[in-house]
Parts: sequence; C-alpha cells; structure tokens
Amino acid sequence: MNDGTLPRGPLIWLGRILILAVFFALWEYAALHRWIDPILIGAPTGIAKFLWEGIFVNGALIDDLGWTMLGTLLAFALGSAAGIAFGMLFVVSPTVESLLNPILMALNAMPRIALAPLFLIWFGLGLGSKVAVGFSLTFFIVLSSTVAGGRGVNPDHITLARTLGASGAQVFRTFVLPSAVPVIFNGLRLGLVYALLGVVGGEIIASEHGLGQALQLLAASFKTNGVFAIIILLSLVSVCIMSAMNLLENRLLRWR
Amino acid sequence: MSGDGAIVLDRVSVRFSPDIVAVSDVSLKVRAGEFVSIVGPSGCGKTTLLNFAAGLLPAGVGSGIFTVGGKPPVEGNRDIAYMLARDALAPWRSALGNAELGAEIRGVPADERRARALDLLEKVGLKGFEQAYPKQLSQGMRQRVALARTFALATPVLLMDEPFGALDAQTKLQLEDVLLSLWQRDGRTVLFITHDLSEAVTMSDRVIVMSARPGRIVADVPITLPRPRSVRALQKDPAFHELYAHVWSKLEEGLGT
Repeated sequence: MNDGTLPRGPLIWLGRILILAVFFALWEYAALHRWIDPILIGAPTGIAKFLWEGIFVNGALIDDLGWTMLGTLLAFALGSAAGIAFGMLFVVSPTVESLLNPILMALNAMPRIALAPLFLIWFGLGLGSKVAVGFSLTFFIVLSSTVAGGRGVNPDHITLARTLGASGAQVFRTFVLPSAVPVIFNGLRLGLVYALLGVVGGEIIASEHGLGQALQLLAASFKTNGVFAIIILLSLVSVCIMSAMNLLENRLLRWR
Repeated sequence: MSGDGAIVLDRVSVRFSPDIVAVSDVSLKVRAGEFVSIVGPSGCGKTTLLNFAAGLLPAGVGSGIFTVGGKPPVEGNRDIAYMLARDALAPWRSALGNAELGAEIRGVPADERRARALDLLEKVGLKGFEQAYPKQLSQGMRQRVALARTFALATPVLLMDEPFGALDAQTKLQLEDVLLSLWQRDGRTVLFITHDLSEAVTMSDRVIVMSARPGRIVADVPITLPRPRSVRALQKDPAFHELYAHVWSKLEEGLGT
C-alpha cells in the first residue's frame, strides 16, 4: 500500500465493475439512440425498472420465482435420492446393474425436453409435470456419479478390510460410502443445475406459474426488458445455488 | 490374545497356475514372540507367503501345512494384524480415527479402542496430531499412523509387507526404531517382508533368505546382535556389518542358482 500499488484483489474487482459499467452504458446508449431496435435488445434501465417492480412493488417475479424454486428443489431432492439409491444398489449388486443398466441408459438417451409434452398429459399444467422433467435429468446425472464414486474405492482399503475380517456392510459403511461422497457431490452440483433447467424448460412449454412461463409470455408480447430481467434473475439464482453447494461441500469435505 | 502366535509352515507351495509357481516347498517355524524377516529378490513369493498367512490367497492355490497360532490361514483371522506397504489410511478420517479403524471393524468397544489409539499415537510420536487429516501429514507421519492402527489391534501376530519400503532413508531409520520399541514392549510374533537387507538385519531375530521364483528358502540366518538394539548405533557396529555381508552373500547365491 505505501509504495502506491493496490493489492491485486481489489484492483481486479475494480476492473470487472468498470468493464460491466462500460458495457451497460454502451447498451443503454445504443438503445436510446436506436442504433439497434430496443425491441431486440431492450435497455438496461428498462430491465432494472422491470426487476425493481417485479421484486419490490407488485411482487409478481417473487411469486414466479417461488414456484420455480419449489419445483427445482422437489425435482432435485427426488431425483438425487433416487439416483443415489439406485447407484448404490448398482455398486453393491452387479446382477441388478447388468439387469437394469442398459434399460436406464436407453431412457437416458431420450431428449428429456421432448418428454415434457407427455409429462404434461400425465401430470397436468401444475408443478407435477415440471418436477417430472427436472427429475428425469437429475436422476441420471446423480446415478452415474454415484456408480463412479462407489467403484472408485482404493484397493488397499479392500485388502485392509479383508485382513480385518470386515463384513460386507462394514466395508460399504467404512470405505465405499465415504470414498464415494466427493464424486457424488460433483453429480449433485450438476444435478441441481439440471433440475432448474428441467423445471424452467417445462414451464416454458406450458405452465400456470413460474419464471419460465413468465419468460414465455413476455417474449410472446415482445417485452424484451422483461425477458432480460428474468434471464438475469435465473442466472443469479443459479450462481447462488452453486455457491451454496460449494459452501456445503467445503464444510462436509474438509478432509480433502 | 487368543492363539500363542507361533507360525508353522511345513512343505508349503503356492501354485497360481500350472506354469506359475510362486513358492516352492517352504518349511519354516517362527516361535511366538520372534521377529523374523524374509528377504529375497522381487517376485520371489515373499508377499505371497504373507498373503497366505493372512488368508488372502484364493482357495486351492496353496498346498502343504500352514498354521498361524495353531490354526490354518483364514481371512480376517483375529490373531493377525496386517500392515501394507502403502499406508492405506482413510483420507476422510483424522489420525485418531484411522488409528482406531482396525479395532473398530473388529468390534472393540469405543472407550477401549480410543484409549489404545491415543496411547499408540503418542508412542509413534504423533501426540498433538490426533485431529489432523492424512493430507496434512507427511508420508512418514502417515506411516506412523498406519503403525498405530496395526498395533492398536492387540493381536499375537503381526504380518508386515515392506511397511517402510516407500520412505526415505532417515524416516525409515526413525520408524524402525519406533517399531522395535513397540515390539520390545509387548513381544508379539512379527513376520516382516523387506527387500532391504540392512533393515532385516537391524530388526530381526532371524533373517530368511529366499531365491528367485519359484521362491525357496536358501538360508536361515540367526541374528545374534544383543537387544534392545539402537537402529542408529547398529549402523556403525562391525558385528552388524559382518551379518549384513553374510546375508548378502546368501542372497547372491540364491540369485545365482
């Protein structure tokens, strides 16, 4: 500090803010002077106004955000619970794996968004069909990471366990499960992002509530500011979810 | 401790397939409380013998009579503690958690195994590191934890497969001292595999020299150095070097034939 240089961290942050400020200023200027039609690109002030009103004045965005998050959390919880359960079953029983794995792989090969209309017929316009789309994505991601984690056990640990006379359950509890946790966590993090993707995708196709449905309505009526506002909101939500997962991971996996 | 800890091999052979004979016609008696090392070129079946003793070999590959503490080899024999060349620590457990792991799997009550693990961590020189995770420990310290885990199993027999093979020379001498003092304390039977002749002579009551595959015993050398021994002092002891040279010549004979 006393030799006149700022620490690297703050300087970098200053640079980042500056780049964004210039970017938004150019954007605003371009829209204001109609270099590009605002119907195509909106304007930062308009986006900010939309966000402000939707969050603090009429609360419409908060309402939709609530539905989307509820759907995401349900899809994530159900999908990852089922994924971990089936994954562990595969690790423990090769017979079950050879029986079910090809069938599940075939299901996983289907483009999930194409199933959304079917889910709408089965589960209706409400939350159920959105959870189903999210579940169908999360489940397979968590399943494959669980299987990979369960297989990644250190052979030395198995030798040690055998000399100790460990039972199958002891080997699983003491070595297989803990060594699988970091890999499963990677799957969970990705699974959460995909749960959000599935739910928003489902909402865009047909829904009563949710940010995806709002996005679809706004786009159909060329309210570009609103579309950008929701995209920004979804990005922020994603970032928050990822940070929360990282925080949880660092707490749970201090030993790494 | 249940069995008396003696290990008896009578005309033991191990044949993995008609072409692959790992061990051929080995007879050996290890008395309870004796420290016996087996040396030999790599691939001579040293580790195979140890795995046989621990019941880790597939059924049917071994022949002859093999008893550990009076019983035929069986996987998970509670008279045996086995130490591997690599530390095999669980990275998600603290040093204390790792030192307790063996006793935990064998169902030793929590208070008892905790007390034993704490005591052994102190004996191996890791007091103050009980809560450290393996990634925070040096390789030598990790192997100390593995020593504590092995000794925390109160078994009459210890099987050790090159436990210090991966360590640098200084750390190795330190850990040999730790092992000797632990062994001196409760006099268990140790069957110790190594390819380091100096280590074998330093530690053992007897050094068994094996030939290249198929492994046979070419010499059984009593190590008459007085106990308790100091690993460092021995490095300068003429009697030590004489025994070392003798074992070395036997090893060369085994390689030549």
